Amino acid sequence: MTDLNFHVLFDALPSPYMVLDTELRFVAANPAYLAVTKRRLEDLLGRYLFDMFPDPGENGRRLAASFRRVLDTGQPDTLAYLPYAIALPEAEGGGLSYRYWTCAHTPLPGPNGKTAFILQNTVDVTDIVRSGEDATLPFRQIPETSALIQRAQEASAMKDALAREADAFRRLFQQAPSMIAVLSGPDHEITFANDTLISFLGGRELVGVNVRGGLPDIAAQSFMGWLDDVYRSGTPISGNGVPIRVARPDQNAADHYVDFAFHPIFDEHGAVKGVFVQGMDRTTHVEAEQRQRVLLDELNHRVKNTLANVQSIAKLTLKDSESPAAARAAFEARIMALSHAHELLSRSSWRGADLRAILTRELRPYGANRAQLTGAPVRLAPRAAVAMGMVAHELASNAAKHGALSNGEGRIMADWHLEPDDGGSSLKIAWREAGGPTVGRPERRGFGSRLIRMSLEGELGGTTDMRFDSDGLKCHISIPYEDGLRHEHD
Amino acid sequence: MKMVCGMSTTDKLQGLKVFVVEDEAIIAMMLEDMLSDLGCNVIGPCTGLKQAHEMLAGAETPNVAILDVNVGGEQVYPVATALKERGVPLVFATGYGSVGLAEVWRACVTVQKPYTQDDIVRALGMAVGA
Repeated sequence: MTDLNFHVLFDALPSPYMVLDTELRFVAANPAYLAVTKRRLEDLLGRYLFDMFPDPGENGRRLAASFRRVLDTGQPDTLAYLPYAIALPEAEGGGLSYRYWTCAHTPLPGPNGKTAFILQNTVDVTDIVRSGEDATLPFRQIPETSALIQRAQEASAMKDALAREADAFRRLFQQAPSMIAVLSGPDHEITFANDTLISFLGGRELVGVNVRGGLPDIAAQSFMGWLDDVYRSGTPISGNGVPIRVARPDQNAADHYVDFAFHPIFDEHGAVKGVFVQGMDRTTHVEAEQRQRVLLDELNHRVKNTLANVQSIAKLTLKDSESPAAARAAFEARIMALSHAHELLSRSSWRGADLRAILTRELRPYGANRAQLTGAPVRLAPRAAVAMGMVAHELASNAAKHGALSNGEGRIMADWHLEPDDGGSSLKIAWREAGGPTVGRPERRGFGSRLIRMSLEGELGGTTDMRFDSDGLKCHISIPYEDGLRHEHD
Repeated sequence: MKMVCGMSTTDKLQGLKVFVVEDEAIIAMMLEDMLSDLGCNVIGPCTGLKQAHEMLAGAETPNVAILDVNVGGEQVYPVATALKERGVPLVFATGYGSVGLAEVWRACVTVQKPYTQDDIVRALGMAVGA
């Protein structure tokens, strides 16, 4: 019986084998290995594997880690699936050949029993992978053609592992809180869409649909152009707070803001074959920011406006007063009236204030028994409430100076009601003073009467009728009333 | 209470017919006083757009107008357009500054509330070229 020559056996194996030492230098390689890697034996022997087949990326790290495990544990290690580009020789035009491999690494002991070599059996599974490949790589199902893989038993284990890995990936992406889609081809056919994206787009069927033809509402917006750009250029595009209008089948079109990133997916030749889409619905955040900006603008405007009012009161009071002391007192009292109106309004978050509350606040300093207020609750909108507060203050302080509140006995009767008129209703207020000293029409129009006329007739679009009867002032006010009075804004 | 301002400008403002739209009573009163102090004749103050259009139809063509931008929840631009068609120079008064103005009116003179009498003198001067 002829002795079996293991060199002959090694060289005759149809599957690619090579042997590395512990420094990962080539010790041997069989012709099948040289054929598949397109290398000559003399070019490899003694050379460091990663000098021969460099890969600075994740796949290089995975391969190195597998060798490390074999050396550390003395146990075989398998890489079920390893994409690994190898450089083509000049004679074949150079460049990189993108290949997929499965590798089994087996420790070979040296004389002292320690691992001295690593035997690698590597199988090029590129054709199998490509046969089932599309743009959904992490999500693809393993083709049943794996019978072609030489190590049938290992292949089955690998297949399960890979399927589990793919399933885990799929679940992870499917349930991710951000929106994820994988698009394939120039028309952006959706080959994967996760739950968040499906619900964002209103529960539509997405997989198998192409964005260009099947999602007209999205395709009509800038997103289509960006997808085309990424597909054409291979350059990622991202955007923050980009408005998007989604026509949901179950409800009206809704405006949203999204952060998004479109990344190209490359094939083994480096050509773009699809787009990886990630998105985050930022509508709540963007709208909150917008609301805040509006509120700040409004606050700024209101402060400016209030300052303008204070300035006007100061200027007009100084001009109108007989002495600096009188000016100071009148100015303070008017600022306080403005402040009271603001206080009442802030209690309702500036929705409005009740007429009775406004009148009560301005008459309070003169004693509760001096004024009789009669009328149902009437809500005044902010502008009307401020104007009415200032008017009530002027009427009351005038009464305190010259009218019913200037002696011990006089009284004020204020009553009001809503009266329907053409197209709406009017708020009628009657202010009657009695028991005060006899009054006559003042010789000149001061701040108070000017303000009353300008506020009620001008600002609030109403009418006033002031009569200085012998028993006291009668002031009849009528202002248009549409639930809360007009002038919600200014 | 006359304030001291650049005499050459204030002289040119004497007798100027100033159309005023301002819906806030207290501010309207102050502006009315400021203009009277400067020797201007005030047309208005109008506190609403409807009143402004009516007054504009009945009055002599003003020499200049001071317009509050937001008048009773409405924007003053229709009145501004009517005035512009009659060749009246405009000054806008707003709590937002010139950014509170619609794009087409940004080139107009603006005064930001609160404004002083000097601000009004300067704005009128720029508007009428005094």
